[in-house]
Parts: sequence; structure tokens; C-alpha cells
Amino acid sequence: MFERRLYFHIDWLLIGAVFALCAIGLAMIYSATGGPTSVYWTQIYAIGLGLIAMLVCLSVDYRSLGDKSHLIYLAMVLTLVGVLFLGEVRGGSRRWIDLGPFNLQPSEFAKATVALVLAKMLGDSRRRGLTNNDLLFAGVLTAVPLLLIARQPDLGTAVTLLPVLLAVTFLAGLPMRYLGILAVVALLAAPVAYQFGLQDYQRERIATFLDPEQDPRGAGYQQIQARITVGSGGVWGKGFMEGTQGQLRFLPVAHNDFIFSVLAEEQGFAGVVVALGLYLFVILRSIEAARMAKDRLGAYLVLGVLASFTFQVVYNITMSMGLVPVKGLTLPLMSYGGSSMIATLAGFGLILNVRMRRFTN
Amino acid sequence: MAIAEDRRRLAVRLTWLRVSVLVVFGLLAGGFWFIQVVQHTRFQEMAENNHQRTLSLRAPRGIIYDRNGEVLVENRSAFNISIVREHTKDLDRTIALLAEVTGVEESRVRETVERHRREPAYRPIVVVQDATLAQVAAVTARRLDFELPDVVVQEVPTREYPGRQLAAHLIGYVGEASDQQITEDRLPAGTIVGQSGLERVYNRMLMGADGARRVVVNSVGREIRTIEELPPVEGRRVRLSLNHAMQLAAEDAFRAYGYWGAAVVLDPRTGDVLTLTSLPSYDPNAFATGIDRAAWAALNTDELRPLQNRAIQGRYSPGSTFKIAVAAAALEEGLVTPDHQIYCPGGATFYGRFFKCHLARGHGYVDMRHALEKSCNVYFYTLGNMLGVDRLHEYAEKLGLAGKSGIDLPNEVESIVPSTEWKRQRTGEKWYAGETISVAIGQGQLSVTPMSMAVMMATVANGGTRVVPRLVTAIDEGDGKGWQAVPPAASPVPPMLMKPSTVSALHDGLWMAVNAAGTAGRARIAGRDVSGKTGTAQVISNQGKARAGATDKDLRDHGWFVFFAPRDNPEVAGVVFAEHSEHGYLAAPIARHIMETYFAQKDGLPLPELKVPVPGGAAPVPAPTAPPVRVAANTAADER
Repeated sequence: MFERRLYFHIDWLLIGAVFALCAIGLAMIYSATGGPTSVYWTQIYAIGLGLIAMLVCLSVDYRSLGDKSHLIYLAMVLTLVGVLFLGEVRGGSRRWIDLGPFNLQPSEFAKATVALVLAKMLGDSRRRGLTNNDLLFAGVLTAVPLLLIARQPDLGTAVTLLPVLLAVTFLAGLPMRYLGILAVVALLAAPVAYQFGLQDYQRERIATFLDPEQDPRGAGYQQIQARITVGSGGVWGKGFMEGTQGQLRFLPVAHNDFIFSVLAEEQGFAGVVVALGLYLFVILRSIEAARMAKDRLGAYLVLGVLASFTFQVVYNITMSMGLVPVKGLTLPLMSYGGSSMIATLAGFGLILNVRMRRFTN
Repeated sequence: MAIAEDRRRLAVRLTWLRVSVLVVFGLLAGGFWFIQVVQHTRFQEMAENNHQRTLSLRAPRGIIYDRNGEVLVENRSAFNISIVREHTKDLDRTIALLAEVTGVEESRVRETVERHRREPAYRPIVVVQDATLAQVAAVTARRLDFELPDVVVQEVPTREYPGRQLAAHLIGYVGEASDQQITEDRLPAGTIVGQSGLERVYNRMLMGADGARRVVVNSVGREIRTIEELPPVEGRRVRLSLNHAMQLAAEDAFRAYGYWGAAVVLDPRTGDVLTLTSLPSYDPNAFATGIDRAAWAALNTDELRPLQNRAIQGRYSPGSTFKIAVAAAALEEGLVTPDHQIYCPGGATFYGRFFKCHLARGHGYVDMRHALEKSCNVYFYTLGNMLGVDRLHEYAEKLGLAGKSGIDLPNEVESIVPSTEWKRQRTGEKWYAGETISVAIGQGQLSVTPMSMAVMMATVANGGTRVVPRLVTAIDEGDGKGWQAVPPAASPVPPMLMKPSTVSALHDGLWMAVNAAGTAGRARIAGRDVSGKTGTAQVISNQGKARAGATDKDLRDHGWFVFFAPRDNPEVAGVVFAEHSEHGYLAAPIARHIMETYFAQKDGLPLPELKVPVPGGAAPVPAPTAPPVRVAANTAADER
């Protein structure tokens, strides 16, 4: 299964950049939680498990995975249904499955699964271009896990499935006018969705985002504090473990949602540029993998995985500046979170997989 | 073909994505650059405000000593319980819980918080000043339980007046700066400043400089560590001219003899104030920890006016003591010689009106010395008539009896000795020569403070140099140089060095009033040559008294005793003013006790014990050498 020559086509640079980001994230978690706490060690284990997941995803030919994509998809949907009934309740939502030593968040794995099933479905299509039926089917395949996750409720993770759909269909030849229509519909639907589609707490989040001073102690607090945290970092930062905002807990869940703010505070603009550069490299390098992919399945798979990753990176980093409403969206590779780390590394396993097998038949 | 086209579209669309990603990351980097580099200063400041808190460390006010190093005012440690609203989630709950824990009325706590509402949230609002140990313990326990994390207990130096009511009026009291003081003196809110007396006059000096402690706090307001500490600078130490023992003697004697009133004793050589008392008094300790409204209202509405410093704010008719000024004026003007004799038949007619002497049978022929000794009205009517009111005014001013003494205390009132100009300005009427006759024996429109009377006695005692009474003699700047003497204030009038003959006549006459057949025998101290004069200040005219009939108001006359000692080269000069004592000679024993204390201390002897013949002292006991003289039923009649 794992041919020797494949070894030479592994993208070591991408792996290096990915683990560099993991290391930066780990250092920031260490700093934000004030030393080698259990959070820090959990993250180390998660990276180790993620590495294994990555190797697993790397070794199995992505085409065989594609062949079994319907089964994987089915298993994922069933797990999500199971979570809704059997999952652990924490903070008012049901997202986790108790696996003894740790809790697993299946929704994290939904992203790669959706990417795989969409890539398989559209990649195998013998027709030229993208038909409306294809589009509809792809939409349904995405909507099922999306709605299941949204029911947990975990709107943040649910929404990350949309970029997967968008990216794969885009690459599969989504007509440009559809994109235009989509933009117009989104624009028109936003107020309606705001009024009817959102829960009260979600509306409140958006309202305070637009005017954080309205409620500086409540919902707007995090945004204001995030901006202060980032802004006070300056060019060179306050130094490792010297950030007052993170260390003194003015920033809530600093090791999680706001890990990039901690980086910005302690390492300054310089650190931000390095981290942004690494993320940019990872993304461009992955797009490169998609370009080099042997088949459409490979290209679509890479982009599907990359889409949710990129979306989350951009959203979280923007949030860390206090420029978008605070959502429970973690920063892939850097934020604390076992499931997210394992799922993300597994996703990169798939990307490496595609690139590695670009010459094989 | 299809595959190639497919490939091309894929490549184009991937390029699109690549460009989009680049643009997005460019925007992100630009965003960080804007917040972290362009707006860095602003956010830096916000971050510091977030986690740093500057706590004010109150400076202890300067210690005040008497002339012998006795501590009059010092500081003690007190505990203040304050609310810091910065991280308060539910202020109402905190207020309610704090009120319950400390046993303070909730409405009062709420009122205090409301008053400081607009101050920055990190500044503690003092809710309980000078908390009891039980209150401190209760709050500290709740703090540890995180029930009251936003309540802090601060140890602050607080003014302590060990003498309690002693010299309260001259020392004054401290209190929170008023809104006006805050804006005028640019003080931080809640600063403790002197509100009266020396505490107020020398506030700047006594206040010192508050220190500050910058601490790091976390998001729930808990102190993590201290960044820097600027220790407070203690206020300057101040040494007064006051003599603690004499002050105590004066106040003890007043209480023992059962009078309210005032006493001022000066060193006639320098103007140093040795004693300055006003009774009834109040306890400034009550103000140091924030006087409550009821106590403040009680002090203000008390008919005895305990807050008034009678020594410099009370104005009374001088009575016979004014004869000293008349005598000095007439001698200096050369109108009479000390030996000039005037016949007193028991009264005399001036401008068609008969003015009685207090001794109906008359004093016979009296010269200056005997006139002073016996306080002969006719003699002084005659001199006053010769001088005219304007020259009386002029000499009163030179002696220090008119105007303000210039003592370093606030709100001194002017003593009034009339002149033709004064009357024209005040009433628009001309002065009638007949009015001068009454003025000559201290009646009529004269009203003087005990302080001005003391200054006059000092001027007479030292031979004509009007001193400016002063309380602060030395200041320790705290710069290691130790006590630095404060130069005495320059006299407001050119020295009126009296002729030796004038001085000796005045001194002899006043000596005789105490040591011969005069009215002030009760002030006599063997071997000390006390010289003095009694006087009576009418509260209301005799006719008025008759008209008023029975009334709750105390209409009894006030008694004066002015003095200096010894006769030659006097070392002390002053006045005792006893409210409603009816007779000046009843004020004399108080003065004697003060002087005895002075001489005993000077000679290193044990301080004298107070010997009061009758508790309350109000019972008229005839003076051994001066039987009480019946007061003539005459508006102008006066003695003692």
C-alpha cells in the first residue's frame, strides 16, 4: 500500500510549516495558561494523536478512500445523530462523545468527510461542467451534517461546512453567475435571517459587535478586550508570558478562541507576520497540491479540506482583532482543542496524500 | 480536449483562489499593522488602565508641638472600608451586603456611593471611616470568601488630638475637602484638608504629599503585585508658641469656676501666644473621621455656640478695661501728668448731663495711679473729654485694641473703637462730644475681641510696641535641617514707644489695682507683681434689663480681667473673659491660675493645683482687699 518511492514525494515543507504552527500554538497555550498545565499536556497529546491520524490518512490511497466515501459519510451522519441524543452536554450544547480519557467532537471530522464525499461525487461526474442536479445533490449532502451540527447547537462549526461546498463546486465549474446570485441572495437574506433565523443570544452578539461600547461589561467586553490585547502588543510585543491581557485574564478563553490575540500581544506585529506568513504558506502550498493533483477527485478533495481550514483561520484571526463577532470558532493548528487538532492534521494528511500520489496510477 | 479544458479551468480558478487568499492575508496583515503599530499608544494605555491601578497612600499630616515639645496633634492608624466599583458586577448587592456586615445603615452607604458616583471607578469610595476592628474582621472574612471582592480595607493615618477639647479652636479640625476646595486648590476628591484653625491656615504645610502605589490587578480586581511605590511624604512638623501647661490651666480653671468664655495670654516681648482658649469647646477628633450629620447639626445649633472661637470672633464691650487705653492716650498726648489730680465727688456733669462714678460718695482727689487702681469714672470722663473720640481711636489702634490683631488664625473679626469718621460712615451722623464721655469708661459703641484686649495689654506691658500675636514659631521642613524659626510678623503700626513716665504710671496703677486697694486682688500672687484691671461688659443696659424682665436668656454681665506680670519687665500679658460672670474680679482667679502655672513651670516647680473656694465659683466671694462695690444704677456706671 505504501510504496517506498511515495516517501520521496511527501511535502516536507508543508509538514514543517504545519508543525511550526502547532509549536507556536503550544507555546502560546503554555503562556496563556501560565505554565505546563493539564491544558498544555492535553494539547501535546492531541498533536501526537493528530500526527498518527495524519499518517493514517496519508498511507491509505485517497482514491480508495473516495471509493468508500459513501460509507464514511453515512458513519459520520449516524455519529452526529448519535451525538444529538447521547452526547455530553457542556455549556448548553451537545457536541461531545465521552470516550473515557477524552471527549471527541465528531463535528470536527464532518468537514473532511463532507470534502471527501463532495470531491468523490463531483470528481467522478462524467458530464462536462456542473449540472443543476449535481449542485442540488451536493447541497443536500452538505446540508444534512450542517443541520445536524447546527442542532447541537454549534453554529460556528456548522457554518464551516459551507466553504467546503462552495470551494468544491467552484472548482468543479460553478457558473460565475451563480456566485453573483449567491452574493445577492446572501445580502438580501441577511436581515431576514437576522430576524427569524437566529437565536436571541446570537442576535445580541451581532448587535454588540456593531457597537461594543453598548455593553462594555457584557457581550461587547470580549471584543474590546481583544482589540486592547492586540493593540497593546506593538511591534515587538510584550514578551513571552509577559502579556498582561492574557495573563491577567482580561481576555476570556485566551488559550482557545483568542490564542492569536495572545500571540499578537506577546510577540507583537513581528510575531503576527511570522504566523500569518506560515498560514499563508500552508494555504498556498496546499492550493499548489490541488493544482498538481493527478485527478479531479484529488484536486477537489484538497480544496474541500483547505476551504474550511482557510475560512476558520481567516475568521478566527479577524475575530482576534475584535473585528468580527465573537464566535466559538477556534484557530486551526494553534488553538487548544483535541478534536480540532486531530481533525485538522488528518485533513492535512489527505492533502499530503493527494500531492504524494500525483504520479501513481 | 474536455480534459484539457477541464484542467485549464481548474488552473484559472485555482489562481483566482490564490489571489483571493493573498488579498485576504494582505488585509489581515494591514489590520494588525493598523491596530498594533498605528494605534499602539492608545491601546497600550487602555491595557495599562486595565491591569494597573494606582492606589493613593495618604500622607500623615504634620505633627504639632507646643513650645516645650509637648505633642498637641498627632496621627494614628485608622481603617477605612471602601468600595472599588471597577470590577463590581452588582453594586446594589455589594452595598446591601456591606451595610449588613458592617452594621451601617444601607441608605447611608448608598448615599455615600451616590455622592462619588462620577469619580473614576477605580478610585475607592470610603464607606466606613475609622472602622472598628469587628467591622474590619467581618469585611476581611467576606473578602476572602469572594463575597465582597470589590470592598477594600485600607489603613490610613488619621488625625488624633490627644488633648481632645484642649485648644480645639486654635488647632482647628480636618475634613474631606469641599467641592470648592477641590476645584480651587486642584486637590483630588476625598483629600483630607484643614477646615478651621491652624489646620486650615497651615494646611499646605501640614498636608504633606500623598504617596502612590501602582499595583497590577487581574480581571476580577485582585492585586497581583506592586509595580512601584512612592512613599507618602509626611506633613511638616510645626512648633507652636503655645504653652500646653498654661492652656490646660486656663481651661481647667474656667471649668472649675463654672464659666464659659475666652482667655488669651501673650508673651509681650514677642507676641507669642502662650494660651488661647475659647469655651465651650468641641472635640476635633469627631471631625477627623468624618463627623456625622447629627453631631454637626448639634454643634451648629447649640445656643452656646461651641464652634465660635470667642477669643478672636467674639466681640464684647470692654468696660473699665478701656480706661487703660484712655490713660495711655492722655499721658502720651501730654494732656495730664501722672501726678495730675482730679477731684471725684461721685459724679460729674458733661454737656449738660450728669455722669455718675460707681462710688456714689466719690473718690476725692485722685491721680493717674489711683484712678487706675480705683477705676475712678470721673477721672476718665475728664480725660476722655480732653482727648476727644478720634484721639481715643488713634491710641486704641496703636495699642492694638482696634482692628484685627493679625494672628495666624482664620476668620478673626475686627475690634471696634469708634471715631467720628467711623460713625459718619456707619450712620451718616456726626459724632456728639457727649458720646465720648461714655466711651471713656468703655461704654457705648465699643466692641472688642479678647484677642485685641490681650494685644493691648502686651503693648502696655512692653512699653508701647504693638506685637502681632503668632502661634507658629518654628517649622521642621523634614529636610534634615531641623527646626527652622519662623520670623515674627512685622508690626502693622510704627512702634509707639511710650514715655517712661507713662509706662511707670500705667504699670504702677495696674499693679495697685491688684496689689493695693483695687478690684483685682484675687489675681494677686505673692512675689510676682501681677498687674491688671477688671472690667464688666454689659450684656444689656440696665433699663433694657428691667424691660426684659424674666427671660430664659442669660442677661448677666460679662467679666473681664486684663493683666500682665511681673510689673517690671513683664513676661506674660493677657486677658480672661468670663461670660456672664457679672463681675470682672470673678475672672481674676482664672488668670491667677494661668500665671501661677507659668511661673511654676519657669522655675521648675510642680505645677500649681487649682483651689476653688466654692464649686461652680459663681457665688460672689468678696475679694480680700476690694469689697464688692455696689454698682450705681446708671447706664454709664460701670466697674469691675
